[in-house]
Formats: sequence, structure tokens, C-alpha cells
Amino acid sequence: MRFIIRVDSEAASAFVANYIIERIRRFVPTATHPFVLGLPTGSSPLGVYRILVERYKAGEISFQNVITFNMDEYVGLPKEHPESYHSFMWKHFFSHVNIHPSKVNILDGNAPDLEAECVNYEAKIKAAGGIDLFLAGIGEDGHIAFNEPGSSLASRTRVKTLAYDTILANSRFFSDDLAQVPRMALTVGVQTVLEAREVVVVALGARKALALQRCVEQGVNHMWTLSALQLHPHPMIVCDEDATLELQVKTVKYFKSIEHVAREQGFEQILPTKVQTGEPCGLETSTLLKTTPVVATKDVTSDDESPTILSPQPTTSVLLHPGTPEDEYRVRSASPDFVPDRMASRIPDPVVALRLTPNPEKQLARMNAVGA
Amino acid sequence: MPSANQPKNGITKLTNCRLGRGDSLVFDNIWISSKTGKILRSQAAFYDELILPDEIIDLGGRIVSPGFIECQLNGAFGFNFSTVMDDMSQYGKKVRDLNKKLVQTGVTSYIPTVTSQASDLYKKVLPYLGPSGNSPIANEGAESLGAHVEGPFLNPGKNGVHNKTALREAETVLDLDEMYGASNINPSATEGRIPIKMMTAAPELGQMIKIIPELRSRGIIYSIGHSEATFEEASAAVAAGATMITHLFNAMRPLHHRNPGIFGVLGIADSSLPRRPFFGIIADGIHLHPATIKIAWNAHPDGFILVTDAMHMAGLPDGTYPWTNGEGEHFITKKGPVLLLQGSDTIAGSSITLIDCVNNFLNWSGATIPQALKAVTATPALMLGVEDAKGSLEAGADADLVILSEEKSDSGWTSLVVDEVWKFGSKVFERDNLIGLSVIS
Repeated sequence: MRFIIRVDSEAASAFVANYIIERIRRFVPTATHPFVLGLPTGSSPLGVYRILVERYKAGEISFQNVITFNMDEYVGLPKEHPESYHSFMWKHFFSHVNIHPSKVNILDGNAPDLEAECVNYEAKIKAAGGIDLFLAGIGEDGHIAFNEPGSSLASRTRVKTLAYDTILANSRFFSDDLAQVPRMALTVGVQTVLEAREVVVVALGARKALALQRCVEQGVNHMWTLSALQLHPHPMIVCDEDATLELQVKTVKYFKSIEHVAREQGFEQILPTKVQTGEPCGLETSTLLKTTPVVATKDVTSDDESPTILSPQPTTSVLLHPGTPEDEYRVRSASPDFVPDRMASRIPDPVVALRLTPNPEKQLARMNAVGA
Repeated sequence: MPSANQPKNGITKLTNCRLGRGDSLVFDNIWISSKTGKILRSQAAFYDELILPDEIIDLGGRIVSPGFIECQLNGAFGFNFSTVMDDMSQYGKKVRDLNKKLVQTGVTSYIPTVTSQASDLYKKVLPYLGPSGNSPIANEGAESLGAHVEGPFLNPGKNGVHNKTALREAETVLDLDEMYGASNINPSATEGRIPIKMMTAAPELGQMIKIIPELRSRGIIYSIGHSEATFEEASAAVAAGATMITHLFNAMRPLHHRNPGIFGVLGIADSSLPRRPFFGIIADGIHLHPATIKIAWNAHPDGFILVTDAMHMAGLPDGTYPWTNGEGEHFITKKGPVLLLQGSDTIAGSSITLIDCVNNFLNWSGATIPQALKAVTATPALMLGVEDAKGSLEAGADADLVILSEEKSDSGWTSLVVDEVWKFGSKVFERDNLIGLSVIS
């Protein structure tokens, strides 16, 4: 994992925006060989979008041959609603750059058949050749897209019921009226994100510190879904100083020193050539390499050893549960109606939850027997 | 980017421009279509119809305003609406010529005003002054939203330059039908669409207050003006349905602290009355003192409409021009924006343009640019009941736009300059010396 720490959110956003621009440039996208970009919504990527728009207006980058896939969208919210992710993307990015609407993909939360919409979305990603770079944010509870705590790390695009806490948190966007907050969303799965050839996560602010700590310093855990990133061959997390508050000083220093040394040696992210430029698409590889600006000291010899994703494949399904059928959700029934409850609320007596022994009655009986 | 082989869709995106939203100017984009003549719902066009604009125009931070709406225009560029011609088809041609010139001043729609005249003149000219209709044709220039008949039911004591002998009193609405011609004022006598949109009359004369509700039911705006009305009479007119005051302060009793007169209705606190009326203000520096204008604006900012009351000398060089109010031959001397009846001190309308009124108001009042522009866009549109189509930058409204540069002189005077005018989504005017424009960022 590459872990980049910048002093503030502006510097972190600038790093991510520059990185994306560099990746698209080196890819040299064409109409037949487009760059496929996965995009998030939310507060974290706002700065990135702003800088991308500025750079576009300065003529430094074109999105003409870029295909985008968005992570998620609310169910039942009109596209025109100011809080819809369609509106978000229009307002902050698409209305300012030269991307063609036919190359923009956002899940349709008003589709007549939501299940089919999700299956089609996965198919569209595949048809586009898979996602070259998935930009993501991170939730305070470590979620990626709408894959909230407890989501399967092998999940794919699907209908998701929102956690009550998320509904409460979102009500601020709906004039504090809980009734107006959408209860469900369509979202790409953890698996869908991990199948991207590269994943870049931006985490800003102290509120994200705990989630970042869980995802970076601890193990893969479905309660912090972004931690699945540890299974990806080319993950990168970019954060500001505030977001590192919960990390060990040792961790922060380690990643900073790695970046420092790497820069001294003159290389940054090492990606296999095939990931950098995409599939050759029938072109002679040598021709393609000639037209591609060569990365400073990219270690091309490591190509064969380096784990990489050249085409979408269910990585975690293989790693975690070899038997997970890829098209499991095709036969899935519709999501049940939302029932607002939480794990803890299912235990009537809070004291019970604190006991270590699973069967206090039996234990008590045994103690009484000893005493008799 | 649309490729060359894509069919043209007539859509233009104006980008890097400042739009008036509420009381502030915000950077935003606006999509307009020359095919539908409307402002587009750009997000829906993009996501649902997969449309990109044919053309993207970077305005370099300039201001985009809805096209101006003029509510008091007696004529311009040498043509007076209150004129009879031997060959009335020439009248229609003169109106069309005027429309094309008028649009270059930023006025994209207006209500042509006919002063107090004999019945015969109304019947002849009004058919040429009605609403242009639903066909959005950009190159026809400014568009009439219907005629404004300022008279002849005016108070002889406040006639201004109107011909006293032409003034009448109305007892029933039939007197109006007879005066203007039923086909011009009575929708049931014609196929629905009538030329008259607004009528100025003195409420204290005849049975005018009783006639107001009938006018309202015909879709005609009743405006109080050229009147000796007391506060009580003006209030009764408002209660009966008057929604406008014609050139407030001019041709009416001045504000007296014990009888506030017509101006007093802006101070009405009686919640049983309908909303306070709109009012026209001539901000030419001659008709009203700047302080008076600011007082009026502070009294009721949402009703404040800037008008020119321009005569046909507007747009002509200084000099002495013949003019008739139907009573003999007169001459009007034009010197700058000042029009005086020759040999007197009587103000004979103005020859100012609406953008100059906006600039005067902007500098005299300390209003923000969006507030000043509202007085010639959203507010008159609301007064005329056309707020969905005119005076708005919202999606679905007509794409009548004015692009303005903001220039500041050394003395601190801010001027908005009309750089471009768009009518129904097509550019119809561009200032000659636009090149080398200073960009405001």
C-alpha cells in the first residue's frame, strides 16, 4: 500500500488530482482505448474535483476519452433533486469539463428493476474493460461507497439498505426531516472496487482518523470495509495530517520515510506498464510503449512478479471464499423493508452484553451446586 | 466536445459568467437553446438526453442578466407609438424597425405606451401593439408583451403633457370598450388575445374604482397614475385590484405627512389589503431626486420597477423635434437626456435608456447589481404576470439575455455596459468595440 500524508486537505487533494491527471496522460486514452475512471461523491473528493476542473480549464487535461463510473446513488430520489449524486456530479464536475454524457455512468436509483440495474452496471464496467483507477472516499465508520459496516467484502453492485446512523447523518441534507431521507441506495460492492486496476482513497480530517487507523493498522475486517483495500495489489491512500491522528507515530513515520526514500530514488507509484497504459488493444506493444511517455525509473523488470489486475477478476472471492459465485445477486430477492434497529438494541439488558460467559444461568447453577 | 458530424442542436453554453441569484452574483454556467428559445435544464439535458452544447462561450466573468423589460415607453428612434399614419401598414413596419433597434439597448420585451388620445387613434394603432405571440423569432428584436394605454381617463389637474381636451371620465366598462375598441380591450369580443396589457387611469374619476375588478378579470393590469387621488382613494383602488402605480411621484400629489397620497399606499400596514402595488420610477436624474428614489426603494424594494418614460426622441441626437399630443403642433427640445416642451419648463418624458436608469439607480442607492437588475427584470415580469417566461434565468424561461460588463470610473461611478443581447437563445446584438475588453475576475 502506498500511503501519502500531506500537511492539509488542500495539499492532499492537489496530490490526488495531479496523480489522476498524470495517470490519464500516461495512459494516452483514445476513443477506442479510453481511460476508465471510478468516481465517488461526498465531501472528501470535493477538492479533487475542483482542482481537476481548474486544470481542465487551464487546458492541461482533457476528459474527452475518459469513461466514468460512479460509486452509488440513492434509491427513489429524483435525479434532479439537489442531494442526488447525479446533481452532485453535475454541479462539481461534469458541468465544467469536456466529458460526453454517453461516457458517464451513474447508477439509476429510479430504475424499474433495481436488481437488473445493478447487474447491468457490473456488465457495463466489464464491457468498458474494467476500471483503470477507482477514486474513493472513506466514511467515518470506514465504509467505502455505501458498503457500510458488515457488508460482505465479496459484495458486488447491489441495493443496500442504509444504516440508521447514516440516515440520521444524512437528514441534515434534507431539511432535518427524517421522512425525506432515502432509506436505500444502489452501490458498487467492495469487490467491484477491488477489481479496479488501481484504487486511490482520499481521507481528510480528524473525523476520518479512527476509520483510517482501523483500515491501515489493523486487519481486514468487514466492520471497516475499506480495510479490504489491503488485499488489492495497487492501493493508495492519500490523507492530511488530521486524518492520521489515531495512527501510531511509528506508522506515520514509516510511510513518510518510504515516500521520502522513493522520491530520492526518483520513482513514485510503481505500476506495471500494462496497468499504466491499459490493454494494448490490438496495437503492437512496442508501438504503444514508444508513444507513451516513459516513467522516470519505473522498474519494468518487476512486471512479471508484480501482482496486478489486467482485466476484472474477483480477487477477494478467490482469496476469501473461493466458492463465491460471481453472479450471486442475479437470483437475490429484493432487499427487505428497512427496520430501524441496531445490534445492541437486540439485547434487552445492557448488563448482559458485558458478561463474558455466554450462559450465565448455567454458570450460576454450577456455582450454587459447588456452594451446597 | 461535439464532433463535426453531429447534427447541430442549437444549444449554447455560456460559461465563466456571473448570474444574479437572489441578492448576489454567483459564477455559474447557463445553457440556452436557439431551437426552443428557452433556458435549458442543463443537468437533465446531459444525463437524460445525452446532449452537449454546440458552442461554449467563455464570458470571462461578465454578468448575465435576463433581458430587460420596459414598462413605460412612448416611442424611440424617431417613432412615436401615438401616431396615426395615412398608410397604417407603414405603422407596423415602423414598430418592427423600432423593435430591432430597441433590442440593442438590452430591452428584450416591453409594453408600448400610448398616451391620451382620441378614440380613433387607439382603434387604429392598438392592433399593431399587441403581444408578439408565442412564436419565438429572435431576429425580430424586442417583443411586445401587450400595449399600455396611459389615458385618456386621467385627471386634468395632473395631465403632464397629455392633451387636456382628450381626457375623459368612465362610468362603466362600456366606456372603455367604446374608447379603445372592444376588440382591443374585451377578450370576449375577440378570440381571447387582446392588445391591451395595462391601463393607467385616475381612480378618483367617474366610477373607475368599480371598473377595476372587471379589468382584472380580463387580464388587464390597472395602474394608478396622472391622479389627484388621496391616500384613501388610492387605498380603495388597491383594494379593488390596482397592482401598479405609473411613474410614482410624477403627475400625482406629493407626499404630505398628514395625507400621504398615492405614495402612502406603499406604507399600508393593513393586512386585509392585497399586496402593496408595484410602482414605476424614472431614474433619469430629472424627474426625481436621487434621494426620493432611494426612499421609494426602501419603502417597497419588491415593487420597485425602473422605467424610462422615453419619448420618440430617445436614440436621436440633441435638437428640437416636432411633437403633437393631438392638440396642435408642439416642439420638444432634447438636450442630453432632458426633454422639455419648447418655451416652458414642463418635462416632456425622457430620452434615457433603461440601462442608464439602472446605472443611475445603482450608484445613487447603494443597491447591489442584482438588486438593480431585478428592477428591470424579475420585478416587472412579476407585475406583468410573465415571471415564468421573462425576467428569469431559471430553466424553462425564455432565453432572453443581456451580457454586461462592469466598468468603474475614477470617481467611483459603476457602469454596466450592454455588451451582447440574446433573444430566444440567439445572439442579436454585440457591441462593436468588444475586443480588448477588460476582464473582471
